[in-house]
Amino acid sequence: MHQTGSLRSAFVAIVASAVLALGAPAGIVPAAAASAGEATWALHISLPPSWLDPAETPGIITPFVVIYALHDALLKPMPGDAMTPSLAESWSSGKDGLSYEFVLRKNARFHNGEVVTAEDVKFSFERYRGTNAKLLKDKVREIEVVDAQRVRFRLKEPFPDFMTFYATPATGAAWIVPKKYVERVGDDGFKKHPIGAGPYKFVSFRPGVELTLEAHEQYWRKTPNLKTMVFRVIPDESTRLAALKRGEVDVAYSITGALAEELRRTPGLKLQPTYFTFTWWLSFLDMWDAKSPWHDKRVRLAANHAIDRAGINQAAYLGLSKVSHSLIPQAMDFYWAPPPYTYDLVKAKKLLAEAGYPGGFEGGELSGDMIYGSAIGEPVVNYLQTAGIRIKLRPLERAAFYNQLGEKKLRGVAGVGSGAPGNAAIRFETFVVGAARYAYGTIPEVDDLFQQQAKELDRKRREAILHRMQQIIHDRVLVAPVLEPAFLNGSGPRLEESGLGLIANHAYSAPYEDLRLRK
Amino acid sequence: MKRYIFRRLGYALISLLLLSLTIFVFVRLTGDPTVLLVEPGASRADIEALRHDLGLDRPLWVQYGAFMRNLLRGDFGSSFYYRAPVLELYLSRLPHSLLLATTAMAFSLLIGIPSGVLAAVRVNGWGDGAGKVFALLGLSMPSFWVGLLMILFFSVYLGWLPSSGSGTALHLVMPAVALGWYFAAAHMRLTRSSMLEVLGSEYVKLARLKGLPEALVIGKHAFKNALIPVLTLAGINLVIMVNVAVVVETVFAWPGIGRLLYEGIAFRDFPVVQATVLLGGVMIIAVNLVVDLLYAVIDPRIRFQ
Repeated sequence: MHQTGSLRSAFVAIVASAVLALGAPAGIVPAAAASAGEATWALHISLPPSWLDPAETPGIITPFVVIYALHDALLKPMPGDAMTPSLAESWSSGKDGLSYEFVLRKNARFHNGEVVTAEDVKFSFERYRGTNAKLLKDKVREIEVVDAQRVRFRLKEPFPDFMTFYATPATGAAWIVPKKYVERVGDDGFKKHPIGAGPYKFVSFRPGVELTLEAHEQYWRKTPNLKTMVFRVIPDESTRLAALKRGEVDVAYSITGALAEELRRTPGLKLQPTYFTFTWWLSFLDMWDAKSPWHDKRVRLAANHAIDRAGINQAAYLGLSKVSHSLIPQAMDFYWAPPPYTYDLVKAKKLLAEAGYPGGFEGGELSGDMIYGSAIGEPVVNYLQTAGIRIKLRPLERAAFYNQLGEKKLRGVAGVGSGAPGNAAIRFETFVVGAARYAYGTIPEVDDLFQQQAKELDRKRREAILHRMQQIIHDRVLVAPVLEPAFLNGSGPRLEESGLGLIANHAYSAPYEDLRLRK
Repeated sequence: MKRYIFRRLGYALISLLLLSLTIFVFVRLTGDPTVLLVEPGASRADIEALRHDLGLDRPLWVQYGAFMRNLLRGDFGSSFYYRAPVLELYLSRLPHSLLLATTAMAFSLLIGIPSGVLAAVRVNGWGDGAGKVFALLGLSMPSFWVGLLMILFFSVYLGWLPSSGSGTALHLVMPAVALGWYFAAAHMRLTRSSMLEVLGSEYVKLARLKGLPEALVIGKHAFKNALIPVLTLAGINLVIMVNVAVVVETVFAWPGIGRLLYEGIAFRDFPVVQATVLLGGVMIIAVNLVVDLLYAVIDPRIRFQ
């Protein structure tokens, strides 16, 4: 009896202390307070060492989260200008389109104190092996170091997109690394302790876990306001939101759906959408098959009118995405604004009846990647079915989807998305023209125009050709554009300026030297 | 005994060889990793260059030959995503996984064993009922859900514990509880059944007949013997905890092997998946080998079978 009594007393004591503890006022243990001048970012994707080296810029935009802090480019997108002179104070191109000259800033220094020179520019270009490296290097005949502050690129033939590839995130070739240092420590040594010319210096790095940087006080543009920046990888978005709510991080990237709504409702937190050149559209893969209902332009037009783009935007992105009517993003160079497709179910049904399908038809499958294919693809399928286009959603794992799409193994309709930087011509090269990796058919007129624009040096004439191409794509109803999805992020109360959305078409905080903590 | 040891070592080597072949083939069945390493809009030339760079343009048997040759030299290859030696990555994460697993194990034993003993001693009583409910909850609630609930309650509402990351003892509390919760329930069940078996044995009855105090009967005579299967299971569970804490490590952003494996799978980083699975296999085979050898030492009949 005595023993039982002891056990019972112990149990009661434990429960009582737990109840007392739970009843204690919230915040009795303060949230992890950041030190003065320090801000922390919660990243949604793992940080590999290769992102510390601009020479290895892959064909995705995420590495620019780090590159914008550690490194600087001759020209780069900045607030108000997609090609802002940075390490180069000015640039010019020859009238024949065969040369480009850059004059470097005299006060630009690497983190080790060395001045940025023309030799570093030449070395960085030659060392570059990331995305589009071959394409860019094949066009360059030689790089001439005119003097320490002046460098000239001579091309083999006129290449109207030279600056698009060189001076935007389409490549990382214009991001300059110190030649002497890289030669001394080697590629692996550079990734272990990178030295750049950006606003922040390397402090420490745990691959895939955390990166810590501190302000480069000699940065040519200005001394950064934040003393220390920490990038922490938090893979789960609920945990990212919890960390933001608790003040453990100041910015949390990629908070979607219901969590984004929760973020919007939380006092003190800000939901900050950003945009990059990302579009999601339906590609009518079977339209090239004369026996398929999709071959009829009226059917494809009916599909366009059957989709309530604004409704999908509201439901999936809290209305913060951009409704799309072209596969070219609105902010991309050479974009042509097509007449918008209205959501008109009656018109859609009428078009189907005119095409010989008054009772609708079996539309096959709508294949798409798991993320956007489900988030946007599912409501799209529902809208199409309402109009009478009986189609089934087939979500695939991202790599499997793009593999099968590229190998032309899919049928029916595909939900395609692309956020690759560049301009309209670059996007056509991948998705529209005859030789494109993801094109299932070709329009000779479009292919001819594509060849013409590739040689056209006059910007206005080139623009007219690229607009004409977009017009043809619209007239022939090659695609059903749906949305330019927003990238939803949250920022906490400590940051007065988070840098989110300051640079057009840049999804992340930047320029870092402009960020400010609240006083 | 020597023959027995060599035979067990031989089995272990064959198991590892089969595991290496299986994991090598299976990861490649998932598809082309290059597509995940570039934007969908990347050019064909870029994708081909990357495939060549990663050695994926070579025939499968050539890739396997190179993998095995490197493996014999202790080289697990370079991560496709991190572009760094996989072994370096693995070893940088291993201490975190060991710390998490040992803490979670300590938690699971501290909860599982006393509650199991209590349930057995008060069989069909309130202690047993509470234990059954605890075991049911522990075995049925997924660890990610437990983790998220804990973050919501202890981090967001109460503000007591950091939501994620590593570095201090406080960071360890929630991931260890979330990971150890399931195992605590398993240990509780095993302790209970083991204790019930021992409590019904002749020598315990004799101890009671001798008039020994109940605490002494339970604590000294029954508990010690009931603990043997529990500790055997705990040893194997510890290895499992080190290697399979994928969900818990991801939810709490804990920088361990589980998260590395998750990233490896998400990015189709073949060398990372191969290395983590293979090294996990090595650990499990090693523990089983030790257990087999210990059994042989304890029980001579096994040696002669």
